[in-house]
Amino acid sequence: MNSENAIELRHVSRSFGEFALQDVSLTLPQGCILGLIGENGAGKSTAIRLIMHTLRPDSGEIMVLGQSNTAPAFRSLKEDIGVVLDEAYFPETLNIRQVESVLSRAYRRWDAAAFDGYLCRFELPRNRPFKDFSRGMKMKLAIAAALSHNARLLILDEATSGLDPIVRDDILGIFSDFTRDAEHSILISSHILSDLEKLCDYVAFLHQGRLLFCREKDELMDTYGILACTEAQLSDLPEDAVAGVERSGYGVRALVRRREVSGIFPVERATMEEIILFLVKGEGRT
Amino acid sequence: MRGLLLKDFYVLLRQMRALLLVVIIFAVIPGSSLNAFAVIYAAMLPYTALAYDERSHWDQLAGTMPYAPWELVLSKYVLGWSFTAGAAALCLLAGALERPFTDSAADPASVGLAFCIGLLLMAVTLPLMFLFGVERGRMLFILLSVVIACSCVGAVSGTLVEGGGAAAALTLLLPAGAAVLTAVSVPVSVRLYIRRLCA
Repeated sequence: MNSENAIELRHVSRSFGEFALQDVSLTLPQGCILGLIGENGAGKSTAIRLIMHTLRPDSGEIMVLGQSNTAPAFRSLKEDIGVVLDEAYFPETLNIRQVESVLSRAYRRWDAAAFDGYLCRFELPRNRPFKDFSRGMKMKLAIAAALSHNARLLILDEATSGLDPIVRDDILGIFSDFTRDAEHSILISSHILSDLEKLCDYVAFLHQGRLLFCREKDELMDTYGILACTEAQLSDLPEDAVAGVERSGYGVRALVRRREVSGIFPVERATMEEIILFLVKGEGRT
Repeated sequence: MRGLLLKDFYVLLRQMRALLLVVIIFAVIPGSSLNAFAVIYAAMLPYTALAYDERSHWDQLAGTMPYAPWELVLSKYVLGWSFTAGAAALCLLAGALERPFTDSAADPASVGLAFCIGLLLMAVTLPLMFLFGVERGRMLFILLSVVIACSCVGAVSGTLVEGGGAAAALTLLLPAGAAVLTAVSVPVSVRLYIRRLCA
């Protein structure tokens, strides 16, 4: 395994009765942002729990910041990992000041000035109990906490859901700034594919517990395009060109491999959301 | 672990006020068994902290923080020991203040034994909480608490009244039993906690 990678999963599997995460291998290079995409129940949160070793895999190996996450040293390595889970999970009777008192004793490199800065930036009230926070405020607090102990790696599970578009944009900017340091990396799972399209260097797509792909985002966006055409035109395309088809009363829209159809038809740029939707629905050419 | 204890301290602020009130009331009402219940009530506070943890899914967050599982488990024992010792100290103080006015003020021996009963209760029931969670472990806890508390309080009262060798044996056996069971209970709880967390 390469110590230049922030996260490496090798053939990781974990089953829970009906659901199973199967043979997942992916890599997040240091200094990069990897977006983890998948429908509800695809295994994104499970993958994150496996990475943080709060869940044990049935098989496979996981390295985080160059260390096996089963090694005793992984406990102290968690100082370098800022985590935002799908909910904030702070005790609801605590207020922000109390949360800070607790976290500043948990993390040796707690940066009180940075935390205060994020509280001001996110306009979070310091003395209101956590239970009175909206979901957006809770997530902002969790993000502020994850960013305030000088982490080298951020692991974010649906961290931007529940935030309004303006705050989301601000936070995406913070995440983007975070990776200006070549040693800083981010793994982020989200349903908001436009955010990931804006932010990520790599995209990993989990579907029903299987990793369909883990690729560079730009390469993915360059590979696919949208073709609006007729049924007859569609049938003229090479066999391997079509990755998905959507039929409506207005004609046919197809996700196509640009290289296979270049010069034959004009192909529009596909958004990340279109690529993922076509690949999941995966309707064939017929 | 200081952060974990501080978190529980904040979570239990209201319960601590209630505990203080209970101790004061039980101390004011003459009778050693009431003092014993004040101390045993304090031993139950880790379960309240665990219930709050479950409600907020704190374990999931704590699992991502630089804490080892044994720290997460041991912090609950330390919390219980601290509260139980604090309640026992309060009972002793109240007993000392009451003694000039009444013969039935709490005596150090009965408070000490109640402290041991509190430790025993925690040692026996905390592993169940870590295995089953608070909701499922609560029924077993109540059952065991009643059995242990009744038998211990009964034995303590009986032997203290009878005096002599039985009382001396109990005052030795109970602390020794509490110490041994606690020494076994902590590592068992750590194992059960890891098993449940990773299930």
